[in-house]
Amino acid sequence: MSDFQVALTNTAGISSVVSFWVFVSSNALNRKREILVKLAQGVMVIGFAALTAAIVTRGIEAGRFPLANLYESLLWFAWAIMGGYLLISRAYDLKQLGWLASLTAATFFLYGSWLPAGQHEIKPLVPALVSYWRQIHVPPLIVSYAMFFISGLSAFMQLWSAGRMAAIYFAIGALVAGLSAIGLGTFTDVNTFFLQALFVGGSLAGLTASWLSLGKIDTKRVNTSRAELYDEVVYRSIMIGFPLLTIGIITGGLWANHAWGTYWSWDPKESMALATWLGYAAYIHLRIHHECSAEKLSLVSIGGMLLTVLTYLGFNSLGFGGLHSYGKFK
Amino acid sequence: MLKLRLSSFASVKLTIAIFAAILVTILLGAWCPQESAGGFDKVVETFGAPMALKLRDFGITDIFHTPFFLGLIGLLTVNMIACSVQRVFPKVRLLKQALPFLSDREISKFPVNSSVQLKGSATEVFAVIKAKLRKQGYTVKTSGEKLTGEWGKVGRLAATVTHIGLLSLLAGVTITSWTGFTGFKPVPLGTTMSFDDSEHSKQWLGTLPKWKVKVDATRREDYESGDAKQWYSTLSVVDTAGKVLKTQEISVNNPLSYDGVDIYQSSWALDSILVYFNKQAMKLRLQQMGGTQAAFVPLDEKTILIFSLRKQDAPVRVFGKIPEWEQPRLLAEIPQGSTASFGAVPIRYQGPVPITGLQYKSDPGLPVTYVAFSIIMMGVMMAAIPHRQVWVYVQATEEGASAVYLGGVSRKAKRAFERSIATMVEKLKVEFGDNAALDSLDSASVLVTGTEITAEGEGELSLSAKST
Ligand code: HEM
Repeated sequence: MSDFQVALTNTAGISSVVSFWVFVSSNALNRKREILVKLAQGVMVIGFAALTAAIVTRGIEAGRFPLANLYESLLWFAWAIMGGYLLISRAYDLKQLGWLASLTAATFFLYGSWLPAGQHEIKPLVPALVSYWRQIHVPPLIVSYAMFFISGLSAFMQLWSAGRMAAIYFAIGALVAGLSAIGLGTFTDVNTFFLQALFVGGSLAGLTASWLSLGKIDTKRVNTSRAELYDEVVYRSIMIGFPLLTIGIITGGLWANHAWGTYWSWDPKESMALATWLGYAAYIHLRIHHECSAEKLSLVSIGGMLLTVLTYLGFNSLGFGGLHSYGKFK
Repeated sequence: MLKLRLSSFASVKLTIAIFAAILVTILLGAWCPQESAGGFDKVVETFGAPMALKLRDFGITDIFHTPFFLGLIGLLTVNMIACSVQRVFPKVRLLKQALPFLSDREISKFPVNSSVQLKGSATEVFAVIKAKLRKQGYTVKTSGEKLTGEWGKVGRLAATVTHIGLLSLLAGVTITSWTGFTGFKPVPLGTTMSFDDSEHSKQWLGTLPKWKVKVDATRREDYESGDAKQWYSTLSVVDTAGKVLKTQEISVNNPLSYDGVDIYQSSWALDSILVYFNKQAMKLRLQQMGGTQAAFVPLDEKTILIFSLRKQDAPVRVFGKIPEWEQPRLLAEIPQGSTASFGAVPIRYQGPVPITGLQYKSDPGLPVTYVAFSIIMMGVMMAAIPHRQVWVYVQATEEGASAVYLGGVSRKAKRAFERSIATMVEKLKVEFGDNAALDSLDSASVLVTGTEITAEGEGELSLSAKST
């Protein structure tokens, strides 16, 4: 890994942290708000550009498509979070999604940088991954995960603008439980059954409690127009992520059929992607048939985000097997 | 009668319930190693025997073949057919209907609407608006100073296309499950494989091929490190009369296809060696021993002969082991086809018997499945397109001044649409000059009614307007 590439990656990582703090301070300093938001947005653009360059450089140095292990996929994920946010903020006047997006990007940079050095190095590919199908199959998936994250973050903003504070706390609880399980599973030797229980139990308990407390409204905080805006962003992000997930799953099937003669074998990762797909199909149908309030739909999207985490990272860290694990590295 | 029964399945609430049930089932299947993939041993290894047995009792170790799961898929199919026929496909008709031209009062009823007074003649202003909308990609139709515009109309076909794709996928999978078959067979060199013990579903309507496959040659190619690089097998397709119909060398990723059956190279091993003791032929089974393979021949209580083979074309190395020796001792190295003598006993090494692992499948539904895949991908991409409809009416208010009424709907991106309309109004004001003095209303503001018109309602709005 060249110094140049490290410098680019670090620039991107630092930009995400800086833009997070500038977004946050824009809330504290009301008078300078417009300027600070613009500044934060600008830092994010720099970070995005640096990360784009870092990924391209990595590809050139490796002499292959730079998406072959967990570390590289995390770079892509952060790239898509930043790019997705910048894209959406062009169509919508969003003030608060920025700090959530930069916080997410920063968290994933941190997660990536903590991975063992072996993950950072450029290594030759194992035979199973040497195929042009890899670059058709994987990028849509990573970008779809990022779009689902943006949707989930926006769902939190929707609940916030609708004054559903209690529901937010429980949903954050669910997310924290899930992410802690992933973090512990990646970096420690905690018993996998405990971690699985933490993820599943925490998600279910948190989301159920959140659902049940949707009736509690903090009327002082309600901003109907904002809530409606974030609701639309939740939906639009899913409508970008969903086709990408579909394409990712199907091209995976085509690859498998090409390599093993069967396009579907109920491999755990395959199954999980299908479960996530069904979750978002449920969201889409709930939405177009008005079965649910916007707040309930937001919770469905947060549930979808947890499924996405489980699909994306759960397999390495929570001890599911299968063909798709990026390889154990503990 | 049929219609009545079908319609009771055409419920989206039911769809959601089935989605949820399938989702949970799939999660369980992803969590628990499946017997079909790693065997029951893998389940025992993961959970321990008592728990593994319990999981098997509940069907969780082979969850995707349980009647419960298949039933859910069946229910989903019925539900999807019913819904598609009753609710999704009929909407295609809406596409053909032209949008009606609307008056100022009708336009102001839209959830997104705006009106503005401008210093500019009606014809001039109208032409500019038309050009702007065209530039934004709207398909514009005009009648006098009234205009309708539509953007992303294909997006309305998304549901229809996606569901046609999903139904085709089910058709493809069903064809395969009723007529296709799969299997795996380890075939020793020089022998023949038939399809008689292949696997297929219970409600099977297909037939198995009569022809067989003979393994004429098979070999392994190594990297310099000694790791396997590729396996090759030369196969002949032989008919019942013994006539060779086709011959081909296959390797991993390069199958033989004949009569709708694909045969894949999937594994490879050296199975045994052929040895003559005193002219008496013996087949010795090889076992993996670190980097090499070995066969063990106990001569008496204490003495063991070990035949070790590193590679297919290497000589066999014969070791002896008696309790007094700490390590086995190399007694002889015999190239293929040669003989070595051990005291009075000549041992001839005839050669190894490689065994090639052949995976085969017949998937008659595959072309349908592939077409379905492309339709589904197209459909979901279309669903991302937010359909927009706008109506404009420009009215001359006096010499060189006009009132503009804009309004419309976007089911999927109302706020983004609202913003684009507001931007357009701002631009018009810059271009022509705001004539607010003449305006009875508050012309500068974009009026967005807060009424809760549902998306479905908005979709219908254009229709109900037509009938007026
Ligand atoms: C099994 C039962 C299903 C039923 C009963 C069902 C029913 C429906 C209905 C009634 C619509 C609305 C059509 C309209 O308003 O124009 C719709 C739309 C749609 N459905 Fe399904 N559906 C099912 C399964 C699926 C699945 C598995 C998917 C997976 C991708 C899917 C994807 C879609 C999409 C993409 C749309 C269009 C959404 C849009 O235009 O925004 N459906 N579905």
